[in-house]
Amino acid sequence: MNYRLGNKIFQLFFIAVAFFGSVFTQVAYGQDGKALFSQNCASCHAINKDLTGPALAGVEDRWPDQKMLYAWIRNSQAVIKSGYPRAVEVYNQWNKVAMNQFPNLTDAEIASLLKYINEEAAKKAAGPAVTVGGGDDPNAAKASGQDSTLLYGILTLVLAVVALVLLQVNSNLKKLTDDKEGVVRLEPVPFWRNKTYIAFLTVILFMVGGYLTTKGAINLGRNKNYTPEQPIFYSHKVHAGANQINCLYCHGGAEQGKHANIPSVNVCMNCHTAINEYNGEKLYTADGVEVDGTAEIQKLYKYAGFEPGKPWDPTKAKPIEWVKIHNLPDHVYFNHAQHVKAGKVACQTCHGEINKMGEVYQFADLSMGWCVNCHRETKVQFNDNGFYSIYEKYHADLKSGKLDSTKGITVEKVGGTECQKCHY
Amino acid sequence: MRKLTFIACCVVGSVLVGCDSVQRTPNDTYMPDMAYSRSYETYADHSNLAEKGISYNNQPVAGTVARGSDLPFHIPMDAVGDTANYVASKAVKSPVLSLTDAQLKEAERLYLINCGICHGAKLDGNGPLYKDGNGPYPAKPATLVGDAKYENMPEGQMFYSLTYGKNLMGSYAAQLNRKQRWDIIYYIKVKQGKIGTAAPAATNDSTAMAKK
Repeated sequence: MNYRLGNKIFQLFFIAVAFFGSVFTQVAYGQDGKALFSQNCASCHAINKDLTGPALAGVEDRWPDQKMLYAWIRNSQAVIKSGYPRAVEVYNQWNKVAMNQFPNLTDAEIASLLKYINEEAAKKAAGPAVTVGGGDDPNAAKASGQDSTLLYGILTLVLAVVALVLLQVNSNLKKLTDDKEGVVRLEPVPFWRNKTYIAFLTVILFMVGGYLTTKGAINLGRNKNYTPEQPIFYSHKVHAGANQINCLYCHGGAEQGKHANIPSVNVCMNCHTAINEYNGEKLYTADGVEVDGTAEIQKLYKYAGFEPGKPWDPTKAKPIEWVKIHNLPDHVYFNHAQHVKAGKVACQTCHGEINKMGEVYQFADLSMGWCVNCHRETKVQFNDNGFYSIYEKYHADLKSGKLDSTKGITVEKVGGTECQKCHY
Repeated sequence: MRKLTFIACCVVGSVLVGCDSVQRTPNDTYMPDMAYSRSYETYADHSNLAEKGISYNNQPVAGTVARGSDLPFHIPMDAVGDTANYVASKAVKSPVLSLTDAQLKEAERLYLINCGICHGAKLDGNGPLYKDGNGPYPAKPATLVGDAKYENMPEGQMFYSLTYGKNLMGSYAAQLNRKQRWDIIYYIKVKQGKIGTAAPAATNDSTAMAKK
């Protein structure tokens, strides 16, 4: 009996502890400065950085009277009207942008907010957290990429040298055995005067020379792997790769017209009015030189005529003269919208893995053979695509089985290899 | 033998140097007949037109309405520090009264391209640029679903913000035409459960994000 009672008491005690525990954790959650900050303040304020509103680190030191700070947070306009000097000063300093009102914040909540702000500010002051962002060495990557060609080249050379040496040794040994056996032989001809060698070398030179000449001639006017230096080191790897910005965010013209469009400065400034420093993985140019991302953003500000902390006036912006990489001769017509919107071709098909390129290079050679080959092989999205609805005969033939639906309709079949489709 | 080593070293060296270089200049062209346009192309420098006495600026005449496009938004942008027009935009009604499923899907696609990177694919203000404060964007984007302020915001005011920008958000007038902007606002209102079929509860979405 006693044992049972004890058990009951224990149970009650346990329930009580659990109950109060949950209440206390909830209270603590209600005063969670971080959650409150992200809910109410983070749209306009950061702790250590000026955004729409000032950086909040040390805000309590800047307000001599804490009561007025609390009143300001709840209703800033009322405090300004009361003529409190600090309030008027902040208001004018920040271009008279009115702060939102938070009349529902309790004293305890504001206190926990300020506590969170002080903690974060102290953390920053103690030294930035050392983030070793797996800065992969580009040289290592490059070496692994080139390894095979280089290795094979060296191996071939070494083997060739070894073969030559062995040939010499062989002839020397032969000479020795001949001497021993008393066979009289003519003085051997050195290999650079040996006619077989010379003939062999001539043929090889002819072949290699011919190959290089032909290749060079074909490559005239073609620019595969062309990697010009741009006025600003803009990394597609950071923007389209790490930050997952869609290609069409900046190059919206690709689905609307002939050109994919180089974004104007205001598109950059959509994000970069706020993002003024780069803290991600280390950046390298194609030559392996390290790049300071923050300095590159400063270059953008110079073009935009933007001074951090002041409202941006877009009329002061000057265009950035990017260097065009993909150039087609004027006698070829190419339309982005036709490929992206009607053809539903992915950007990467022609431009390569752009989201992994630090510096963009020309991926395809943009030769006519390359165009025509793709037009012969690529099947168009024939079904549920308004663009191809006029090809009634093909649709009927596909339905009746006259055309093999597994093979589909290639671009060639809808006139994609006709001369005047691109040359007119 | 010495000669041979010397030649081998030279060849290996030139191969090494040749492999490492980055092509910074374009290749030569042979007889570039019809390769370069004689007319002014997109992005071509046309500053010399003024010298020739030709008046050209690449801007449409003020007040121009493109064929087939929506009528202009008549509320101008506020001066710095003023909010009169921002408040006045509340009264503007959306010309988009309904969207078909296909149009709504297109609006969603446009939202994901242009808005989702900050405001999140789930409209929770937690896109890949913010990532709970771990992304590069320092300010928290607006929580479009789940925050009463934005759920009750009239469509006209949203359109004002999309057209002229608001706080840290820039203007999207250059990237989205008027119809597309109204369509995206319609999509947001559908997701907020204000129009048409009710959107899935926002709280579920945010917990799903948190679990990840």
